[in-house]
Amino acid sequence: MCVWCERYADGYQRWYFNPANYARRLYKVRKEEEEASGAEANPQAAGGMALLTRDFLEALDRNDHDAIAKMKRQVEEISQTVHFGQVVTLEDILKVVDTIYPIAIMTCACRRSMLGLPNEENFTCMGMGPGMYKWERWPETYRGGIQFLTPDEAKDIVIQMNKRGLVQTLFTFGTPYLAGICNCDYPDCSAIRTTVDYGIHFLWKGHQVARVDNELCNGCTSCIHRCQFKALSFSPTQNKAYIDLFQCFGCGLCATECPQEAITMVERASFPALANVW
Amino acid sequence: MLPTITVDDKKCTDPLSCRKCLLTCPTHVLGLGTKVGPQKFREIDPNQFIVAGVRLERCAVCMDCVNVCPKNAIQVNF
Repeated sequence: MCVWCERYADGYQRWYFNPANYARRLYKVRKEEEEASGAEANPQAAGGMALLTRDFLEALDRNDHDAIAKMKRQVEEISQTVHFGQVVTLEDILKVVDTIYPIAIMTCACRRSMLGLPNEENFTCMGMGPGMYKWERWPETYRGGIQFLTPDEAKDIVIQMNKRGLVQTLFTFGTPYLAGICNCDYPDCSAIRTTVDYGIHFLWKGHQVARVDNELCNGCTSCIHRCQFKALSFSPTQNKAYIDLFQCFGCGLCATECPQEAITMVERASFPALANVW
Repeated sequence: MLPTITVDDKKCTDPLSCRKCLLTCPTHVLGLGTKVGPQKFREIDPNQFIVAGVRLERCAVCMDCVNVCPKNAIQVNF
């Protein structure tokens, strides 16, 4: 079972359907620490991306397994306490949009830092909850400001981004409090890249996995470009899509694209060997 | 062995509007950030932006960023 559901679902089907996990004001972690001791208030969300330094890459480069394991543990511990993500299907994210208010769209910090994308091309990140009022009050402190959305507008935008091929993820800001819906892709999403390239458990897999029905798959390949996790490939021998169930993050993008409806999303927990692959 | 990417911030004065190196890198190694970290007001000041090598394990030392830089600000050593 998903450890976050074990701890925080409180009777709901998944932890991110529990409204209590959206109920905390952002920045509380920071407030309790630096700001409580008198530091100037800073309405920026804490990020976990800058934790990986050249030391880690050098350890990887020289195959220093002990050093790699130690640094990984440190980064994972911080990220799971403060800021980590989980992949969520479109169906689930639409339910989340109905759970929390307000929702606002803003510039994506990852693509901003990897591509320098200007705000007008980069409004793909959604913030949720009372923290948004803080950014509304001090728009100059968050790049490009924010734009509030009605639940219907938020759903339309998420659906459009799913069509574009972006993966929906939920992020904590002071676990278990969820305050971000990200729409991610490889290689410019820091979470996907850190997880897929370095094996650091920063982005957790979702509650479902995608299965191909070989009777229905006609080998049209229209799903192939949809996978951002290197889990989906095409088998020329069988003329079918091939999904590595152990690598699948369960975003459902391949399933929403398949014109034959040959890919279905199945509960991860229904496979004994996958139930703890997160 | 990892390459070292050095960017001369005095020459690279406005990476946010230039960003040629970020877009040309075939493996998206370079990152754009600020010298000040996430600090109120200063983190959106274009003068504070810098470019640095981030995903260095994916740098193939192709030199495309060195060649595309209009200010000659980037050095890659391997």
